[in-house]
Amino acid sequence: MALKRYTKMEYGSPDEMVFGEAKYPVSYGLGQTVGAGMVIPEVNFAPRPGAEKNPETLRREYVDYITKDVLDRAITLGFPAVQLENEHVFQMVNDPEKFEKPVVAGQKELMQKYHDEYGIALSIRHTIADPRLAEEGLRPGMDKKHSYPEKTIEAFEVAAANGADLLSVETMGGKEVADYAILHQDIRGWLFGIGYLGSLDMEWIWPQIVEIAKKNKVRAGGDTNCAGANTSMFMAGGYLDKDIPRTFSAVTRAIASARTLVAWEAGATGPDKDCGYEGPIVKAIAGKPCAQEGKGAQCAHADLMGNLIAQVCDLWSNESVEYHPEFGGSSVQCWLGNIGYEAALMNTAKQLKQDKLLRDLYMATDRYRSPESFILAYDNAYKIGQAIAENGNDIYLRAKLPA
Amino acid sequence: MIDLKSVNYDRVLRRYDIQMEARETPEDIAAKMVPQDPVLKKIAEDVVFMRYKNVQDDVTAALGTFSPEEIIDKGLVKGMDVVSELYGRGIYYLPHVMVAADAMDRGVKLCESKMTGAREMKGKVVMHVAEGDPHDIGKNIAAVLLKSNGFNVIDMGRDVAVEDVVQTVESEKPQLVTGTALMTTTMSAFPKVADRLQEKGINIPFICAGGAVNRAYVESYPMGVFAEKAAQGPALANKAAEGWDWRKLRENWDKLTGGA
Repeated sequence: MALKRYTKMEYGSPDEMVFGEAKYPVSYGLGQTVGAGMVIPEVNFAPRPGAEKNPETLRREYVDYITKDVLDRAITLGFPAVQLENEHVFQMVNDPEKFEKPVVAGQKELMQKYHDEYGIALSIRHTIADPRLAEEGLRPGMDKKHSYPEKTIEAFEVAAANGADLLSVETMGGKEVADYAILHQDIRGWLFGIGYLGSLDMEWIWPQIVEIAKKNKVRAGGDTNCAGANTSMFMAGGYLDKDIPRTFSAVTRAIASARTLVAWEAGATGPDKDCGYEGPIVKAIAGKPCAQEGKGAQCAHADLMGNLIAQVCDLWSNESVEYHPEFGGSSVQCWLGNIGYEAALMNTAKQLKQDKLLRDLYMATDRYRSPESFILAYDNAYKIGQAIAENGNDIYLRAKLPA
Repeated sequence: MIDLKSVNYDRVLRRYDIQMEARETPEDIAAKMVPQDPVLKKIAEDVVFMRYKNVQDDVTAALGTFSPEEIIDKGLVKGMDVVSELYGRGIYYLPHVMVAADAMDRGVKLCESKMTGAREMKGKVVMHVAEGDPHDIGKNIAAVLLKSNGFNVIDMGRDVAVEDVVQTVESEKPQLVTGTALMTTTMSAFPKVADRLQEKGINIPFICAGGAVNRAYVESYPMGVFAEKAAQGPALANKAAEGWDWRKLRENWDKLTGGA
């Protein structure tokens, strides 16, 4: 399948970009439209250890506890639209029929009930686990021990056929070199691993995901370089951390953007994944909606751009939280409240035509907090996007020049 | 875009990292710690300043005067001690440690090839990443730090089945086993490993770490000892090699690791 390379920017200037609006909005799920004038909270969760004991315990955790809690809280707080994200655990990709299918189907059944009863717009992103191991082989027929490449594709099929609205993945291609490159501060290694090998792997997997989505009349969302650029960012850490330089991490992010873009070039419609902090860059190039996470994801990690990264988001996420009780309800309820109220603030700003002011306030608070936040400020993200688009047909150069 | 010129950023954020930037240089600290003997000093400095291309020539030259054991203990390891100090003070970053460890490793291998018997190590560690989990960067960092601290590391890689861990521990008889995992549903392999090892009568410390792993979880099963960061590994391993059991490691965890 031929990929449509981006060789020019879909946005004419950085100022055209704002949260809750994309050049190409996307509709899916139960009355959900993303990027058409609203920011939607996207709540993500992880089951408790031991929930994976058998298919029924896992289904119960995801459906009867987590999904029900989320939906109840969404109605309780009056949120007009919510997206759920289920980042699949290993067992769901290792045995999709037994572990994945009942969870996917059960979540959708419950969502349909709430949608029918309350009219709330609902959708669910299923993010398939990518357990492929480079040492065993990343392509079908190579991994004789686990058959992970085959199982990964099968897991997409099962999700799409049983209730997913949006398909995503955090692909691992290029990590076999990138981890070494991070630990040795080897930017050339990173460029080769993530910029080149990673993009090639994306060119293999994403046309298949898009095809599966089309066949099942659902959406292929997008990817993230979580496995690479976020490893780099979290190791760079905050002001007490000195594992890798934050400037190095910023450069790895710029390179990773060219890789993330491939999913959309293969026909995915967006929204991409929340943990792709490169979202502002790829949105500037392609005009597709992006999901982001920041201050509402402190349950999962600390970052140095908690406000800034909201500047041009279309979905606002909590990244992930383990299901457990808090004083204010279950963890998924508390963090949905957090991101849902933030989305309400953004949507009120839109209604009052103050959205660009709020965008700039988000950006201004963190612009100088770290090198990575500086390059992701929407004006600078746009410039990085231009460097990628100017060399859009060459996956090596377009990864190198933004750096 | 809004004009930011009027923003007083002191009211918005404080760059403690810049404020706390160390004034001492690597050279200042190395000068206080490297050996006095010029031959050994040169070898130690090869490690500190990551001159991995020089280290083999300098070790070869030193072998005319010193035994391989002396070169390792009084040259290469002393250099790595300086690197650990620089990393601990936040002057060196982790990549400095990795490249310095590569340099030390080259020198150690050359010395070992000249030794008549096996090099005496502090102990043996079996390391793995939990079944179903491909995330191994933390384990890889810990492995380098443990090797640099004189441990023999048996690295089983990632996505390792419970039974494979148990068999390897049974056959290798280490003083310590480690497991890492990023996800909540892969870290649940740890209690299974602990149970199976105990069934076999093995009762060594089992250091567990990783993204979703926490101290309360690790201490909920026998043998488990939590590590928050890879850099805590050597302190825990040193005590395990001295004979501390997992209960004693847990009791003294705050002191050994500098708190959670």
